Amino acid sequence: MSHLRGAVLFVAAALLQWWWSTRMSFWGLSPQILLVLIVAMSARLGPNSGMCYGFLWGLFLDILRPELFGGNAFALMLVGYGTGALRRQMDVLDVVSQYVIVFFMTWGYFLLYGLLGVVFAKQFLWVGWPAFLFDPFYNCFIVPLSALACAWLRVR
Amino acid sequence: MHREIRVSNYVLATLSALALALLSLPLTAPVRTLKAGVVYLLNPVAYYGAKGAQRLADVPPGVARLLRADLDNIQLQAQLRDALWQKSELEALRTENRRLSQALGLTPPRGYVPLWADVMERDPLHWYNSIMIGAGAQQGVSLNAPVFGDQDGTLVAVGRVTEVRRDSALVLLVTDEASSVAAYLSTSAVEGLVQGQSGPRLRMNYLPSEVALSTGDLVYTSPTSATFPGEILLGHVMAINPRDPFLTFQSVEVRPAADAATLSQVMVLRPAGAADQAVVPPPMTPKAFPKGRQAGAAAATSSAPQVKKSSGTAPSGKAIPKAVPDETEEGR
Repeated sequence: MSHLRGAVLFVAAALLQWWWSTRMSFWGLSPQILLVLIVAMSARLGPNSGMCYGFLWGLFLDILRPELFGGNAFALMLVGYGTGALRRQMDVLDVVSQYVIVFFMTWGYFLLYGLLGVVFAKQFLWVGWPAFLFDPFYNCFIVPLSALACAWLRVR
Repeated sequence: MHREIRVSNYVLATLSALALALLSLPLTAPVRTLKAGVVYLLNPVAYYGAKGAQRLADVPPGVARLLRADLDNIQLQAQLRDALWQKSELEALRTENRRLSQALGLTPPRGYVPLWADVMERDPLHWYNSIMIGAGAQQGVSLNAPVFGDQDGTLVAVGRVTEVRRDSALVLLVTDEASSVAAYLSTSAVEGLVQGQSGPRLRMNYLPSEVALSTGDLVYTSPTSATFPGEILLGHVMAINPRDPFLTFQSVEVRPAADAATLSQVMVLRPAGAADQAVVPPPMTPKAFPKGRQAGAAAATSSAPQVKKSSGTAPSGKAIPKAVPDETEEGR
């Protein structure tokens, strides 16, 4: 994977996440594209790349949200670390495994972000029941998209 | 594998410390600086994304507007072509209307009716000699019939028919050297003989030597003319020739009123008994009457008949009768 392609992927994914959440969101639901990509890249490249991408994409999400600066960076970085750590336990490159990881990582991400709110903002930053219940499924739908992105990055 | 775990732990610790620092120290100067830097770096993604999305959203309406504009353009071009054609047709009809209005103001002499004809041909080698008109024996044109034209709304003498064919006729212009017309000057009322020079000028001879002449005098046909009716404008005096001591008369140069180069239609008088067809020529087409060229209009007689003009210049001493329905008009 070249650095240029990585940079292009970083900007394109950030743009797609912003565009989808602002233009194609219905009933308050939009997929966590960045989270899915972090899972896919951590599964293929290991936890270090996943954490770096997660931290930077998290900073991007933080500048779009007013609550906590650093909260998304911290949560997504842990998603990358967790997926990378799971590489030693299971075959994370398997599609079904990625569905499962994305599903539970989405809940973990929401809960962790809420808890960070309790610690640093004195309130639980709840994403709402619709997002909490349906976003994991929504994210699973775009797992093939992350596979396409990794194929474009020539990451195996 | 252990090395990767160790590195990942270091990375985790570093990034976690950084994230927690950002979370716990949001108001400190370094964090604010970092936040401003991150915003500076990453905010353009959203900013230009919004602009790009807006442009993409504007594409379908823009394409629709473009298609509508294209359809409007096609429609307007067709309307413009129609309008241009209608304008040309309007010009032709206006010219036709003017000519017909002038024709209505003319009272042809008893036993004659006006016949309008197109100028078909003008021989460059005999520019001041003759023209061919699009009416002949079939339409009732007879030999020696007077031919008139319209010059700026005034009836002027053009020539006489010297050759009649089935559907055309040859007109000998007054500028031909074989033409001569009895005429008089508007100021002094003296008569003379206007003769063609086969050029752009006429010469008026046989003017009494004691008469004072001046340039600009109008020259009208005399009632004694064998071909033309009286009071028809022939031209105006351009120059007075020096007196010849050996001649008992003097002469002047006359500029003919009829500019044969601009005539597109002429009026011929024909006997009332001739065929009634083609009394009024076919409608003029825009190409046949380019802008600026006026069709002729007037009436005339043969050698004997008189023409009464509804309006016109009155030569001195010989007032032109105004439009009075005469017996010819009523008798028809």
